[in-house]
Amino acid sequence: MSATGRYDAIVVGGGHNGLITAAYLARAGKRVLVLEKRELVGGAAVSEQVFPGFTFSVFSYVVSLLRPEIIRELDLPSHGLHILPLESTVTPMLNGDYLAGWSDHDLSRRELYRHSRHDADAYDEYGRLMHHMAHAVRPILGMLPPDPSSLSPRDLMGMLKFGNHMRSLGAEKFHALHKLMTMSSADFLDEWFEFDTLKATKSASGIIGTFLGPRSPGTAYVLLHHYMGEIDGVFRAWGFAKGGTGGVSEAIASAARALGAEIKLNAPVAKVITRGGRATGVALENGDEYEAPIVVSGLDPARSFLQLTDPNELPSEFADAIRRYKFRGSSGKVNLALSELPRFTCLEGGDHQRGQLREAAWRGAFSISPSLDWVERAFDDAKYGEFSRRPYMDIILPSMIDPGMAPPGKHVMSVFVQYAPYHLNGGWTDAKREAFGDAVVDTLSQFAPNIKQAILHRQVITPVDIERITGLTEGNIFQGELTLQQLFFFRPAPAWSRYRSPIAGYWQCGSGTHPGGGIMGASGRLAALEILGASS
Amino acid sequence: MSYDVIVIGASVDGLATATALARGGARVLLLDASERIGGAHVTAEFAPGWKADIASDDAGWVSPRLVQDLQLEQHGLRLASPGGRLLAPTGAGAWLEMDAATLSPRKPGGAGGANEAVTARDRERWPSFAARVGSLSGFLAGMSDAPVPDVGASSIAELLTAARLGVRLKRMGERDMTDVLRVLPMSIAEWLDDWFESPTLKGVLASRSITHLCHGPRAGATTFSFLQHAIGRPVGVASQVPQGGVGALTNALAAAARAAGVQVRTGAKVERIVVKQGVASGVVLAGGEELPAARIASAASPRSTFLELCDPTRLEPDFVRAVRNIRYRGAWAKVHLALDALPPLPPLPGDGPVREIVVAPTMDYLERAYDDAKYGRVAAAPFLRVTIPTVSDPSLAPPGKHIMSVHMQYAPYRLREGAWDSAARTALGERAVATLAAHLPGIRDLVLHTHVVTPADLESEYGLPEGHLYHGEMALDQVMFMRPVPACASYRSPVQGVYVCGPGAHPGGGIAGGAGLNAARVILGDVKRGQ
Repeated sequence: MSATGRYDAIVVGGGHNGLITAAYLARAGKRVLVLEKRELVGGAAVSEQVFPGFTFSVFSYVVSLLRPEIIRELDLPSHGLHILPLESTVTPMLNGDYLAGWSDHDLSRRELYRHSRHDADAYDEYGRLMHHMAHAVRPILGMLPPDPSSLSPRDLMGMLKFGNHMRSLGAEKFHALHKLMTMSSADFLDEWFEFDTLKATKSASGIIGTFLGPRSPGTAYVLLHHYMGEIDGVFRAWGFAKGGTGGVSEAIASAARALGAEIKLNAPVAKVITRGGRATGVALENGDEYEAPIVVSGLDPARSFLQLTDPNELPSEFADAIRRYKFRGSSGKVNLALSELPRFTCLEGGDHQRGQLREAAWRGAFSISPSLDWVERAFDDAKYGEFSRRPYMDIILPSMIDPGMAPPGKHVMSVFVQYAPYHLNGGWTDAKREAFGDAVVDTLSQFAPNIKQAILHRQVITPVDIERITGLTEGNIFQGELTLQQLFFFRPAPAWSRYRSPIAGYWQCGSGTHPGGGIMGASGRLAALEILGASS
Repeated sequence: MSYDVIVIGASVDGLATATALARGGARVLLLDASERIGGAHVTAEFAPGWKADIASDDAGWVSPRLVQDLQLEQHGLRLASPGGRLLAPTGAGAWLEMDAATLSPRKPGGAGGANEAVTARDRERWPSFAARVGSLSGFLAGMSDAPVPDVGASSIAELLTAARLGVRLKRMGERDMTDVLRVLPMSIAEWLDDWFESPTLKGVLASRSITHLCHGPRAGATTFSFLQHAIGRPVGVASQVPQGGVGALTNALAAAARAAGVQVRTGAKVERIVVKQGVASGVVLAGGEELPAARIASAASPRSTFLELCDPTRLEPDFVRAVRNIRYRGAWAKVHLALDALPPLPPLPGDGPVREIVVAPTMDYLERAYDDAKYGRVAAAPFLRVTIPTVSDPSLAPPGKHIMSVHMQYAPYRLREGAWDSAARTALGERAVATLAAHLPGIRDLVLHTHVVTPADLESEYGLPEGHLYHGEMALDQVMFMRPVPACASYRSPVQGVYVCGPGAHPGGGIAGGAGLNAARVILGDVKRGQ
């Protein structure tokens, strides 16, 4: 006998956006059910004990973009959310030196001065510009995208509001914003800086989650997207959640439950049930059915429409747009259990001061992006269907920040790796996965020679693994590339950027909708507000 | 004799500016440093008895506006569609055959099942692709024939221009309107993959997008570049080019200029623009001669206009920085081959002469060629667009002989190792011949002369900054109100009386005289108002 139930709203997928939508709907008095296919909530924001005693943020590993109003409105700190700041990023250089960046602007400037006086001077002005740009874009993140082709009063008002916001920036900022939206991160940074390692490290944040190299137009925007990280309202602060990123998801889930939402685990949804062009509920893979006049999908656009619904029932233009929507997963993850801390050659030896720096660096991030060419060559491999032989990597040591993540004296290391193309020549196999893991470790050992002997366990995650485990199509961590043609009123499809779908009562709330990826939660919140607005 | 306006540079845009100004009643002096008229668009001898379009062999779209406004037909210009065939090797021994004027793939069939390089599915899609290219590039064309509205538009005229643009956008229809915004930032590889499956068809189409661009087909916004090149010359429609080569266009422009009363002085190199208290008052020539004029229109690149002809230390630092930041990155070279005879061409069933050979077998081939340029090397396996002008104009070569004019990419202006010396020049010519010989065996023995124009030559001899034909990359951040820099997007510059009128200004390269006509309109308005 199959189980049934009746709710005001059903949320498909217990990722952070789905949970946020559920929490907001529950907060407004709706009876909400969240259906999650896995045995834990979080989607790609989960913490799991992959090896005994070693807990990893298996996929997503830093929190920088979570909207402060969500933290406030859902009172997440009282549900266990605790974000510990990441203070530094150290980039080992090929000549044995290093570049350190700090959340403290003056410290960064002083360090930069060591490498280039010119860049240290430019850094102030650059910082100001990016600060202004982030503030210019911030209101757009919280804005419902208008449909530029529609003549409805609401859309015209939306366009007017959007246009007015742009005009209010003034010519200078508007031009700078235009450059950020259209340039390559390498070209954009070239206008400011001369020190190659600085440009490489900064440009690397422009390629995350995209299938483009730092010299391709369109990457400067992602640079800004990552610059908007704000924790507790502080711009540019990157953080690490206590207990790993699963801690964020658990906190949101706890808030949702406290507000009355019901969360069912191990409940994979097979399809959305429609009647007369309206969503009426969902059917699980095991045949259970649940009814609700509102169904919200937190899955990516391809899953939401090409899998959960019958694309033949959708308007063909919409279905075509969803089919055209680009995922092109380009990153992988290597999680290492270590017997000792990695000893980066560039930080070894030296005096007391160097020792202090070493200690501090272990609590921050390491970026393997010694030169622009390094990052670009990593992409060269990927564009012809191979994983990068010498990839770009973003590394943190969560056990240094939260000792509970590893047994005493031991450590966990999270290595975000790009590029690992989803469409690998010949496809991903177990052997290819291991070869990819080896390339990562070999590259790491070039900078931290003790790494090989320190590895107790190794988990290698390819884009295919990301897709298989989390359901993210092609393993794209942002539920679709953050390229200009897939942002704002194009996300995920023209005319359908406002969380609605052509099926009445069927909504979207994932990162595949405006404003996009990262553990930001804005999509989930905006979707909920839009649903509540429509149903009131 | 005093002049209302001195125009610097007798290039296509300089000539268009000067002629339009003179026809509007201004007294105009046009100066050019070289002894030739036409800038980078000249037809000249490269070896005794052998002539070719010696730098650029493509003046861009010759718009009806240019022809009519300047009465170019009365001055000898004939536009015609050349017809003929375009052949593209697939890299696997086969050839793709297209109509050279429309880029439409020819029908399959005939002896040996030739032209199977395009699948039936792609043939079926071709008409709707061509229609979409026409519609989207038509939108860009609509924006090219007037100065761009200012972003912080406040004057009624500017708001009207903006409104006109909005109306045009709305008129395109909902689908095309959102589509134009969607596709512009895309890579051409993504866009063509959405349409087609035949590798060489995609290679040839993509080669248009990377022409005069130092990017590969996988780079963002190469679809914009493709559509920009399709302005006035979309696919599926026979494009019109000047009969007799680009020199015929510049000759007609020069004749029109003189007829309109423009004083033309060649061999007159402008040393600097005289600026007194922030206001231009004339120019000084290399010999020291000073020529007064209240208005100077420069068809030279923004870089040389503001950093060489003006004194940058007297300009606003922000403006100077913006000008310095303009990206040029010339990436092409030109090779002219004097041939004893045409090499044996593949036996394809199509009729009409072979006018063009394009070596762009796949998009990956182009991408790999770009990879070399990215790291400062000449492409090991370059993209070539080879035209054979002697098939329609035998007078360019001695009787019975032929020339091939080769546009080659990528040859980056900035080499990481070595310089553009004579060894590099010889090697470049050799690479072009070797690349061709791989597809046309026997051609090597037919080459009587090889003439090479490197990016360094393009800069030193034709005034193209870093060898860039368009005086600045046509990228989304360097077009419209950003071209050449926001402070002179209206053709007026921060130096009162100095205007930009070359391809470095909106609408940029690929539209012959587009910037010149727009600039002339602005300058005439200022002349009449006495500003």
